[in-house]
Amino acid sequence: MDYQQLLSKIKDKINILQAREDLGILNINIEKKQIREVIKFLKDELKFNHLNFLTAIDLIDNNQIEVVYRLYSYETKEKIVVRVKLERQKPEIETISDIFRTAEWHERETYEMFGVKFLNHPDLRKLLLPDEIEMPLRKDFFHPDFEKLPEI
Amino acid sequence: MNKFPIEIEKGLTTDEYILNMGPQHPSTHGVLRVVLKMDGEVVKDAIPDVGYIHTGLEKMFENRKYEQIIPYTDRTDYLSAVNNNLAYCLAVEKLLGIEVPERAKIMRVILCELNRIMSHLLWYSAYGLDMGALTPIIYAFREREEVIDLVESMTGGRLTHNALRIGGFKYDLPKDFIYKLKNFISHFNDRIDEYEALLINNVIFVNRTKDIGVLKKEIAISYGVTGPSLRGSDISYDLRKIEPYSGYEKFEFDVCTGKNGDTLDRCKVRMNEMRQSIRILEQAIDHLKDGDIMAKVPKVIKPAPGEIYCAVEGPRGETGVYIVSDGSEKPYRIKLRSPSFSNLSVLKEIVVGYKIADLVAIMGSLDLVIPEIDR
Repeated sequence: MDYQQLLSKIKDKINILQAREDLGILNINIEKKQIREVIKFLKDELKFNHLNFLTAIDLIDNNQIEVVYRLYSYETKEKIVVRVKLERQKPEIETISDIFRTAEWHERETYEMFGVKFLNHPDLRKLLLPDEIEMPLRKDFFHPDFEKLPEI
Repeated sequence: MNKFPIEIEKGLTTDEYILNMGPQHPSTHGVLRVVLKMDGEVVKDAIPDVGYIHTGLEKMFENRKYEQIIPYTDRTDYLSAVNNNLAYCLAVEKLLGIEVPERAKIMRVILCELNRIMSHLLWYSAYGLDMGALTPIIYAFREREEVIDLVESMTGGRLTHNALRIGGFKYDLPKDFIYKLKNFISHFNDRIDEYEALLINNVIFVNRTKDIGVLKKEIAISYGVTGPSLRGSDISYDLRKIEPYSGYEKFEFDVCTGKNGDTLDRCKVRMNEMRQSIRILEQAIDHLKDGDIMAKVPKVIKPAPGEIYCAVEGPRGETGVYIVSDGSEKPYRIKLRSPSFSNLSVLKEIVVGYKIADLVAIMGSLDLVIPEIDR
């Protein structure tokens, strides 16, 4: 099944802001309030039962943070990427950790690295970092010990 | 300090207490701390605490050029370094649209399978120690040394090889390599039988691992568990078969699965995987033809803006690299998807209700590598 067929299957059910193909894989941008609905629909109806990973990208030029969910289906061998753009000042999104349990740790990591707050998360603590370091993967992160390599 | 969400129930109960396992504990195989709620010897709750050796690799990558990143990926999973290298190199090659020469592809397969054997042998010996069997390590390290010598003659490094390059391979094979490899293949299958007789089929071992730490299919999938731990739960998912990379489509091998998803099944899957690795190595020798080992790669690596996720089947599971390129010499964002990260998160689901000695057995059967979790 190519991405056109997959897109036509989900087009009626989900309000897609933007859809594109990237190296054969369908990427869909959706609104943040729809995220739980969309992930549930993809998991229950289209059998996307494996969450490869969940992460974020800091789009500092657009003043946005994009959360990326990558899903895979053990049954149909399909892949899909779901993307949600959030405001950079106060990024907040509903958790999906009860739908995919693996998301619990991935969300904790995204929370500490990018400051994305996952609402209704069961245990939103820092996972890897010590307390004094905040949001290191944001592009404007500054720390006295952190120096950029000189250009060669 | 982080506060752990563990509370002790009040009322007329037996005494419950909190026990710290690690960060310095021999059976956590690295700096991993597990906060346990115990009732006598029974585990009531287990919360892993990770991040003791977080090095900020993902931030470092944003500050390095594409070709400078390869040696860092070695250090995440030092027991099978080449699988991490390969995931990264495949991702960049796909972004650049480079086709790797046939010889380099087969050489990569050989190195990957040797790494898988190295990693499973280390797991076997360490797991024996966890369970109180001191003999297996002596036997397994004898063969592991042979494999490491082979890898060393091929790449110059024993654990962290840094032998792959974007577009191919750094060095060609030494002259006597194939001879040595054939020699190793000829006796290794018998050695695996020996290992199984020593540990895996031992009655004491079977009694300690059978029906312990049962990982159900649905839970394994929901937690994103991959690799032998997933296949032990009877899910035939192997990236080498499903999405063949680096020429794996040419090789014939079976995907090993277990039945019940208990600790013993996970162990058996690993032992059988070593036999399959030997099968792949035998075929690789036949497939190996003379030719180039490097594709034509531009001097300055500047992929077009875009993104890619590439995953390979490492000894622990799906080892993936997600790259976002903005068209410059340095990646905009790299995310490492490490199998141990997801495999550890399932721990709580499979240890609750078992004794603390079983916890050691269960945790060992997940085959965790801590630097990979902390990155």
